[in-house]
Amino acid sequence: MPAKRIVACLDVKNGRVIKGVRFEELRDAGDPASCALQYCREGIDELVMLDVSATLEGRLASLQTVERISSEIDIPLTVGGGVRGKDDAIAILDAGADKVALNTAAVDDPAVLQRLASRYGSQCVVLSIDARRTNEGYQVATHSATQTTLLDALQWARIGAALGAGEILLTAIDRDGTREGFDLALITDFSRGLNVPLIASGGARNADSFADALAAGADAALAASVFHGGLLSVAEVKQRCRERAIGVRP
Amino acid sequence: MSVGILALGAANSHSLVHALRRAGADAVMLEHPEELGAVGALVLPGVAHVGYLIQALDRGNWRAPVLAAIVSGLPTLGICAGFQLLCTRTEEAPALSGLGIFSGTVTKLSGEKVPHMGWSIAEATTSAFESGWAYFAHSYAPPAALRETLATTKCATAFASAAGTGKVMGVQFHPERSGAYGARLLRRFVRLARERAHAG
Repeated sequence: MPAKRIVACLDVKNGRVIKGVRFEELRDAGDPASCALQYCREGIDELVMLDVSATLEGRLASLQTVERISSEIDIPLTVGGGVRGKDDAIAILDAGADKVALNTAAVDDPAVLQRLASRYGSQCVVLSIDARRTNEGYQVATHSATQTTLLDALQWARIGAALGAGEILLTAIDRDGTREGFDLALITDFSRGLNVPLIASGGARNADSFADALAAGADAALAASVFHGGLLSVAEVKQRCRERAIGVRP
Repeated sequence: MSVGILALGAANSHSLVHALRRAGADAVMLEHPEELGAVGALVLPGVAHVGYLIQALDRGNWRAPVLAAIVSGLPTLGICAGFQLLCTRTEEAPALSGLGIFSGTVTKLSGEKVPHMGWSIAEATTSAFESGWAYFAHSYAPPAALRETLATTKCATAFASAAGTGKVMGVQFHPERSGAYGARLLRRFVRLARERAHAG
């Protein structure tokens, strides 16, 4: 098995990194390329860039920002936001992304996962799922979590993986930016129910919270605000993981 | 000295161009087979379904000139699916033939979670290669027992994470996204190409 990954997410809006709580209350957190390079130097294993307003504004993620980040870094970059179909995905990959994340577009037209995987391979296609906790369980939300569907989150993840998604990026909406810790029950369910790698997101608090998420079965744990805010260093997180016998890259 | 990247419609060419520039080479995309003569080294990129890649190779009439270039000693690096393309055949596209530089069949990875996604150690099987942490993203891989294997990596079972013979090398990981380890590999590749350019 590969090392467990610590992933930093750059939520980008209008060419700037921003950070919000439960997808709202957005604040400026810096220049995307500088942030990316900084994380690289600190030993982050992977970067995700999400253009958070792209879908709502009916446009594709900023290709210029993707290019700027990609040309600076020597670790993998996943990009999502406003990807409507195959052509958008190609544009994002051409701009320098190593993987492309689909969320709303995949719910609208699941076959897009298949079309992308048959050209680029599954390892290039990430299904991003925003899971909202309801009385019915966890349901899939779309459009930057402004709309909730009737889809069961895990069921949808399994369908997505069967169609060609090579990785699931799972965000627990109710934990997003709250620093309450990852949703471990959700992570365990997903990890047991899936045969593709899982990136867990939402709720990162301290170094132990990352180790908790990875121990619960996530292959990677993602955070934004705790890293942007300088509350936590990548080295600290990895050190704690090693202390808890979780294999991470030095 | 320029390094040509075969433009077969694979993704991530952008990352490769930048990584090769950081390694000291001038990277150019090759759109037509006749451009092969103008480069000092060749890269077969990698983020693609291998079947798509093989079909693009044949559609663009690349197969014969690429084979001729490799056989004549043009330093060549196959990355990920580009490495698989250098093998005889692959389970991912059983009806199609690879370039056959490495004799072996690429097989689907076994294991609890596929794709093999993330950082693993490429463990050198010869002192001529360096071990290190590399970034992988793949569902298929060449067998560990290739005659030309330089390094292996363990997923559920071991596979060849690098192989080489003469001036051609294939790596299953992504050197352009493998931090300092990948950067060193690319620098060695560029140096090899430069030495050959000067010798020739």
